[in-house]
Amino acid sequence: MPRITLTLLVVAVALVLGFGPLVQAQQPAPPPTWKQGQPPSMADSPLAPIAQPPGPKAPGEIPVDKIKVPAGFKVALWASGINNARVMTWGDRGTLFVSSRVAGNVYAVLDKGSTREVKVIAKGLNMPNGVAFKNGTLYIAEISRITKMVGIEDKLDNPPPMDVVYETLPKDLPHGWKYLAFGPDGKLYFNIGAPCNICIPPDTHANISRVNADGTGFEYVAHGVRNSVGFDWHPVTKELYFATHARDWLGEDMPSDRFDVASKKGLHFGFPYCHQGDILDPEFGKGKSCNDYVKPLLKTGPHVAGNGVEFYTGSMFPSEYQNRAFLAQRGSWNRTQKIGFRVMMVTLDAKGGVAKYEPFAEGWLQGDQVWGRPVYTQQMKDGSLLIADDYAGAIYRVSYQR
Amino acid sequence: MAAAAPARAADLEAGRQKSEPCKACHGADGNASIPGTPSLAGQPVFFTHWQLIKFRDGRRKDPQMTPFAANLTDADMADLAAFYAAQRPTPRPAVTDPPKVAAGQELAQQHHCVSCHRPGLVGHEQIPRLAGQDLAYLVKLLRAFKAQTAGDLDGTMTTAAQPLSEEDIQNLAHYMATLPPTPSR
Ligand code: HEC
Ligand code: HEC
Repeated sequence: MPRITLTLLVVAVALVLGFGPLVQAQQPAPPPTWKQGQPPSMADSPLAPIAQPPGPKAPGEIPVDKIKVPAGFKVALWASGINNARVMTWGDRGTLFVSSRVAGNVYAVLDKGSTREVKVIAKGLNMPNGVAFKNGTLYIAEISRITKMVGIEDKLDNPPPMDVVYETLPKDLPHGWKYLAFGPDGKLYFNIGAPCNICIPPDTHANISRVNADGTGFEYVAHGVRNSVGFDWHPVTKELYFATHARDWLGEDMPSDRFDVASKKGLHFGFPYCHQGDILDPEFGKGKSCNDYVKPLLKTGPHVAGNGVEFYTGSMFPSEYQNRAFLAQRGSWNRTQKIGFRVMMVTLDAKGGVAKYEPFAEGWLQGDQVWGRPVYTQQMKDGSLLIADDYAGAIYRVSYQR
Repeated sequence: MAAAAPARAADLEAGRQKSEPCKACHGADGNASIPGTPSLAGQPVFFTHWQLIKFRDGRRKDPQMTPFAANLTDADMADLAAFYAAQRPTPRPAVTDPPKVAAGQELAQQHHCVSCHRPGLVGHEQIPRLAGQDLAYLVKLLRAFKAQTAGDLDGTMTTAAQPLSEEDIQNLAHYMATLPPTPSR
C-alpha cells in the first residue's frame, strides 16, 4: 500500500474511534485490558499487575548489594529519587534524559562527578515513555503524539516549548505508551501496541512504525507485534532487533515473550493468531498456521516482560561483550512463581542465530518479594552500563575492572 | 546521590499536622461531610499519594482542591497518605433507592468493577475504596471518567467508564454508597 494511504488510515481511525476499538456504548464493558482472555476457571485468581509506587525509594531503602553480576563486574547506585525512571537517552553534551510512564515526567540528570543532579523538565504528560535525542533536540513520545524540545541542553531550567512532530496516532491507552528511537536511517521508530491483552487489533495497531524526523513519511515496519517497548539496531548488520511482550492468561509457562529481528520491512510476527512461533491462539488461531508468520529468534521466557534492548559497543567490558544484546526484563505479574526482574544477555553467532542466552544482572526478586524492576539500559561513554529501575525510581551503574 | 526528592519513610504524626488545612473540607479524620467532597479515611496509601501528584502536576483539576496540592512536597504527600490510610472510614449519609442499589450491584459485576476495586469495592494500592463514599462525589467522578476529563493514572478507569449510561452511573453510585466502608486491607 502506498504510504499516503496508510497515513490517512491512521488519521481516520484515530479521529473516528478514539477509545472506540475497546468499547461501544451500552454494551457490557469488556473486562479490564489486563484481565481479557482470562479463562473462567481462573476468575478468582489474585494475579493482577504490580502497582507502581507513587514515589521513588530513598537511597537507604535500595539494597544494591543484592544485585548479582558476573565476576569482575561491580554495581553501584548511580542516581535515585527519579520517580518511575524508564528510558534513558544521552544529550550531545552529556545530559542524561530519563522518561517515566505513569509519573508523567521527563527528567534531565546531570552527572556532577560523585553526585547526580535531577531536574524535572516536563510534567503532567500522558505516559511519556519514549525519549530520543538528535542534533541538540530531545524527542518525546506520549500516547498519541511525538513532540520535540529544540536546544534543550541550553535551557534545562527553562525548557523550550514542546513542538509537535507527529500527532495522528491512536489514542488508546492500553499498550499505547511508546518506545522511541532513531534508526541508522535517521528515522524515528516507535511501537503502536495492541489495545488489548488479546483481540483482533485494528489494522493500525500491533506494529512497529516509523516517521521521518520532521514527522513526514509515516510507514509500518513490522506487523503482528503485540507490544514492543524496546528495540535497537545491530552495530554491524544494522538490522532492527526488538523485544515483545506476549499475551497473558494462557498459563504459567505459556506463551513465551520473544526477541526478534526484522530483517526487512513488512514482516508479520504472528499476533494475535500465533504466539511464540508455535502455539495457535485458542480463540483467534482457528484456521491459521504458525508457518505463515516469522518465528521468534529467541523465546525469552513466559511473562518475563522484556523491555529494554541494547547492543553493547563500549570498550570497558571484556571483548566477548562486543555486540552482545542486553535485554532488561521488568518481571512477571501473570504467573504465581514470579520470573524476570533481571537483565539478560544474548550472544549472537556469525549467522545471526542465538549462541547464548544468560543472566547479566539479577537480584531485584528475592524469593517472592520484588524490591525493584530493571526496565531499560543505557551505555555510558566510558563503556559502563546504566540500568533504570522504574519501581525504585533509581539508576544503577555496572562497571568492569580488568 | 541524586539531589532531588530524598524519599524517606512516611511519618503519620507529621501527616496529622500537615492535614490541618485539609480539615475544613475533608474532615478532621478524613471523613468529609460536604456533599461532592470525598472522604479520604481508609483510602490505600498509594491511591491518595498518586491523586495528590496528579493535582500538583495539573493532570487532575478541581478549583477547590488544586491550590491545596500545588505546594506539597513528595514527603508531605507520603505523610498525608499514611495519615489518611490509618483513619477509620465512616459511612456518608445518603438517601439511596433500593431498586437502584440492586441494579447497581448487578452492573458492578457485569462491568468488572470488582476486578480492580476488589470484592466489596474496598480498594487496593493505587485503586480507591468506593464503598460508603459520598453519593454526589461518586456520580461526579463517574461522569468525568465517562467524559474523559478525569485524567486518570493509566487510562484503566477512563476505559472502564466508557460504556456507562447516565442511568448506569446513578445506579452504580447508589450501590457503592450503601456498601460498608471497610478500610482496604
Ligand atoms: C476547599 C476545600 C478543600 C480543601 C481545603 C482540600 N480539599 Fe482535597 N478535595 C476537595 C474536593 C472538592 C475534591 C474533589 C475534587 C474532584 O471533584 O475531582 C478533593 C479531592 C481530594 C483528593 C482525591 C480523593 C479521591 O477520592 O479522589 C485528595 C487525595 C485530597 N483532596 C486531598 C486533600 C489534602 C491532602 C488536602 C490538604 C492539604 C486537601 N485535600 C484540601 C476539596 C478540598
Ligand atoms: C481496570 C481497573 C478498573 C476497573 C475495571 C474499574 N476501575 Fe474505577 N478506578 C480504577 C483506578 C486505577 C482508579 C483511580 C483513578 C486513577 O487512575 O487515578 C479508579 C477510580 C474510580 C472512581 C473515583 C473514586 C475516587 O475516590 O476518586 C470511581 C467512582 C470508580 N473508579 C468507579 C468504578 C466503577 C463503578 C467501575 C465499574 C463500572 C470501575 N470503577 C471499574 C480502576 C478501575
